Amino acid sequence: MTPSREIYWNIPAHLLLYPLFLPFLAAFLYGCYRLVKLIWIGQPDKDIPPIGRQLREIVFQAVLQRRLLTQRLAGGMHAAISWGFGILFAATCMVAIQEYFGVPTLSGYFYLYFMSLVVDLFGLAAVIGVVAALVRRYVAGTQRLWKPRDAQGYSLFLWLLLAVLVSGFVVEGLRIAATRDPWGLWSPGGWVTALGLTGLTHAQQTVLHRVTWWGHAVLAFAFIALVPYTLTRHILAAAANVALRRPQPSGVIQPVVLEEAEHFGISTIQGFPRKDLLDLVACTECGRCQDACPAWVTGKPLTPKGLIIDLRDHLLARARGNGNGKSMVGGVIGEDVIWSCTTCGACHQECPVFIEPIPKIINMRRFLVLEEARFPETMQAAMRGMENRGHPYQGAVPSRTDWAKDSDVPLMAEKGTAEYLYWVGCAAAFDERAQKVARALVKVLKAAGVDFAILGDEERCTGDPARRIGHEFLFQMQARVNMETLDGYGVKKIITACPHCFNTLGNEYGQFGGHYEVIHHTVFIRDLLRQGRLRPRTTIRETVAYHDACYLGRHNGIFDAPREILGILPGIQSREMERREEKGFCCGAGGGMMWFEERIGKRVNIERTEEALRVKPNVVGTACPFCLSMFEDGIRAKDATEQLKVMDLAELVARAL
Amino acid sequence: MVDVLVLVNGQADVPSQNTLELLGAARRLADATRGKVKAVVLEGSQSGLGAALCAYGADQVLRAEHPFLKEYQSDAYVATLDQVASQAGAQVILLADDARGKEVAPRLAHRLNGGVVTEVMGIAGDGSAVLFQRQMYGGRTIATFAARRFPIVATLKPRAVEPAIEQAGRSGEEAPVAVVLDAPLLRTRVVEKVTEEVRGVKLENAKVVVSGGRGLKGPEPFKQLEELAQLLKGAVGASRAATDAGWIPASRQVGQTGKSVSPDLYIAVGISGATQHLAGMTGSKTIVAINTDPDAPIFKVAHLGVVGDFKAVLPKFIEKCRELTQD
Amino acid sequence: MNIIVCIKQIIDPEIPTEQFKLDPTTQRQIRGGLSLVISVYDQNALEVALQLREKQGGKITALCLGDSGATGAVKSALGMGVDNGVLVSDPALLALDSFGVAHVLAMAIRKIGVPDLILTGCVSGDTGNKVVGPLIAEELSLPCVTFVTRVEVKDGKAVMRRIVEDGYELVEGPLPAVVSILSDDSNVPRYSKLKDIMVAAKKQVPIWKAADLDLDGAKVGAGAARLELRDVSIPRRESRCEMLDGDTPEGRAEKLALRLRELKLI
Repeated sequence: MTPSREIYWNIPAHLLLYPLFLPFLAAFLYGCYRLVKLIWIGQPDKDIPPIGRQLREIVFQAVLQRRLLTQRLAGGMHAAISWGFGILFAATCMVAIQEYFGVPTLSGYFYLYFMSLVVDLFGLAAVIGVVAALVRRYVAGTQRLWKPRDAQGYSLFLWLLLAVLVSGFVVEGLRIAATRDPWGLWSPGGWVTALGLTGLTHAQQTVLHRVTWWGHAVLAFAFIALVPYTLTRHILAAAANVALRRPQPSGVIQPVVLEEAEHFGISTIQGFPRKDLLDLVACTECGRCQDACPAWVTGKPLTPKGLIIDLRDHLLARARGNGNGKSMVGGVIGEDVIWSCTTCGACHQECPVFIEPIPKIINMRRFLVLEEARFPETMQAAMRGMENRGHPYQGAVPSRTDWAKDSDVPLMAEKGTAEYLYWVGCAAAFDERAQKVARALVKVLKAAGVDFAILGDEERCTGDPARRIGHEFLFQMQARVNMETLDGYGVKKIITACPHCFNTLGNEYGQFGGHYEVIHHTVFIRDLLRQGRLRPRTTIRETVAYHDACYLGRHNGIFDAPREILGILPGIQSREMERREEKGFCCGAGGGMMWFEERIGKRVNIERTEEALRVKPNVVGTACPFCLSMFEDGIRAKDATEQLKVMDLAELVARAL
Repeated sequence: MVDVLVLVNGQADVPSQNTLELLGAARRLADATRGKVKAVVLEGSQSGLGAALCAYGADQVLRAEHPFLKEYQSDAYVATLDQVASQAGAQVILLADDARGKEVAPRLAHRLNGGVVTEVMGIAGDGSAVLFQRQMYGGRTIATFAARRFPIVATLKPRAVEPAIEQAGRSGEEAPVAVVLDAPLLRTRVVEKVTEEVRGVKLENAKVVVSGGRGLKGPEPFKQLEELAQLLKGAVGASRAATDAGWIPASRQVGQTGKSVSPDLYIAVGISGATQHLAGMTGSKTIVAINTDPDAPIFKVAHLGVVGDFKAVLPKFIEKCRELTQD
Repeated sequence: MNIIVCIKQIIDPEIPTEQFKLDPTTQRQIRGGLSLVISVYDQNALEVALQLREKQGGKITALCLGDSGATGAVKSALGMGVDNGVLVSDPALLALDSFGVAHVLAMAIRKIGVPDLILTGCVSGDTGNKVVGPLIAEELSLPCVTFVTRVEVKDGKAVMRRIVEDGYELVEGPLPAVVSILSDDSNVPRYSKLKDIMVAAKKQVPIWKAADLDLDGAKVGAGAARLELRDVSIPRRESRCEMLDGDTPEGRAEKLALRLRELKLI
């Protein structure tokens, strides 16, 4: 006998299902319409990814949930719920396929293995998942779910889902019991439920079955109808967000045309592009971004989660007509919040639905800086310095070539041309500690016989701090001036020891037509070592913990080259910090924060220095002058100068030659 | 022959350090040109002052008394000095470069249709010309000016010239000067005076000054500087960066728009040595600089230097100084 | 209330020592590629004016005497938010002494119309002179208060915080008056809004010549200068700084203390 069961057993009026569904469907569609209308008040978007890419993202992130699963327990729980729900939904559709298209989905091995066994197991997993979610949220009180404030709507959502799932098993159990289903064992969940229902008479079972069946239908329909009105909307919004994900990396900020612009930056919710508003709707308030944010972790008022949900609530309030009280910038989102961001990108890295807080913050900064000229005084001083002197450093500083006085460094102006331009950067020129790195790198380049030159006084700040602070005008001015100099010498290849210069010259100048091959010094040195052009002979007995610079690692994917260098240098023992590579923890100086006095909470660099001290290295290896400076301050502040020092990889390599 | 008129103000019966410097410069110029030194005393005087001024080089002490001169009021001072200078017929009029001198000197020069030169660090005269030296470009350069007409009103930078030497037994004339001042003349008035609490030594007179700058990054480290200053029996100063940031009252500023000091020992902590600041302290005998940047301009004027973060250097330095000063 | 702020354009003073060069013939600093800025205390004066306008309303005019490139300074002031700007520029007026400068500015102020308040920086950012404000006051027979950090206006009178050696005085004076401004944390010059900078860049700054003002030849003509600049020199430093060495900052600190004891300074 072919394994099968009667569809709609005991439910003669099953065709009523469809008219019953209609009002719920209407509610669902209306809710979706309202969501789209909400998002549509934003500005039209410029780059929509091609459809193939959209589908690919949906498969990897919405279906396979790759990013969610980076946290195994929470990800597993979510997978159980979402896949469970998905499989159950698909199974329900299978019934319709057999009913209306004649495909025998409910017979044979397919029925047993998939429709009965697999579906039931997924259903059980879903139940376990929902219970786990409830425990995690309400019993264990997992912090990132509750801070900065608790999410509205999870209670309804989870309990309703649980009710749907459990009622489904009850229906199945009743059917198995009442029909004495020979294949009941293939539906383990239903079979176990049936065991508990044997006390009822056949008549009772039948009546109860009918009631529960319709009840289950209503619950399920209600769940579907409520999707757009509660956080469950993330099923749709997250998938959309993932599909429409912007292609550019987190370290690249998009330019704006400033001449003829009516307003600068974004100061109202409708000023955001629609994709940014979709971001707000897609947020599930999971808080993974928050846990990774260096500002939040050190007690600042900024949390990416808070930023997104505050903006979302502001959007909803505005749609309801009562959002006109507070201004978005300064009111809804406090200025303290806006100026705490180091643009490290950890929030972008963590978010399972690919929300982007950084462009929103930068655009709000642009409003504050360009439109209102209201930004921290130390940053103003840095900007003035950049305008007048071409660099953000203050006071009477050395010239751009003082560091090279005794190192005999070739100048582009004298040499005329060279294979590589060594872009020194402002930090290495003006910061006493960073100057040592420049000298070390020069020693290394000469040892390898590299044909290079520096611009010396012709170099001007790349403008990275200006762009991150929101001073897009000054950034574009710097870019234009530098590009003129670079193109004047026909520069094609640039080596730099600063990841910010690396990111800006390599990834952002292209927005204005400046295309250069920019190589970070760790990659360059690694290649020199691989090619045998550098032969480290001296053994360095140090235990080195490498600190991933945000603008080199997370934003630009360079994690291995520096580690490879440490592996090649003789005598070095490597240690890894807990937060490393894509999950590396910021030193605190990015996003213009180098020129900001942290007054709230703990200093970010102290937090990171403490982490470094925990793995007990005697050297922290860095690849960025800002990280170098932050660690120097941090080590001093922790009184740890005896046991720990910080060195750039170039310095280590120079010592080993 | 150059006669020099010196403004003496303040009610003490002993000439102040500023006054002694004015007299010193005046006497030297008068001697070089066979001229006279006249001192004019405003604002209520003690009887002993006149004799003291003569002992320190004044040939004549003029007393201008008027109820409107009881307290400093710029219109009254300018009008008074206008009258006194016209009567006294001096070619050079010297004032201290203090808050009053800075305000009065240019206005007086305008009234007398003469020239004005401020923050003078040296005066020289011979038969042919009277020369005034002052800093320009924020202390990066020394400029020398020659008078093309007289009178020249000059303010003297404190602690930049040698003070007068007392000659016991030297005497001079004392005479009252009639001054006419009308009430409508006085257009501004001081409504309130707020004195910053000065514990210990006054900055201008301190033999040891410990100054903090931008490198301190906040107001708290100034407590350490206080500790050090107290230990060395000196005063705390600051660069403009620190006072503009509100870390320490503006009256502590040493520099072009702050105080001019020339102590025996000047310790600059976290000060880069912007020319604005140097203008106020290059007269110090020994300058010590503590800074993280070995290329900071302060090291070009310092005599002793320590490269390092003050957070590491100061505590140890204070500890060692305490140890050494205890025996 | 209407305010005129007198500003001067100078070469950016915050530069490394190597970049400071003197022209041997004119005895003036050579510009080279260095930036031009508004003299720093003049910027504080602009800020004080802007804050007063926020409270009292009225118009602010920036008045500048300089070479033809000084339109940059006027535009900078316009970018900060002042209402109008005027540049007085004439080859015949490039080598004036302080009295000449004050006279020209005073006549320009008369031409604009004597306002309620005239502000200027207390010290010139390059020459270090402290006299132009008081000289303008004398030219216009107005009361003058110098080294003021804060100005408030109440019932047609100005109340000013004047910094003195041991603290400050609150000085009350009638308007119009001339006030010279000193920097403090209350008058940090504001950053310009981009829109204002862009609008200012497009504005035409009126330029007045000597002939437009009724100038007294005795104050601005050749030979009017009351003092002659004989020489400007960069002092050579004979001694080098003795750097205390040591592996650690603490070690160096100890050495410093010992050295000072050796020199009998502590």
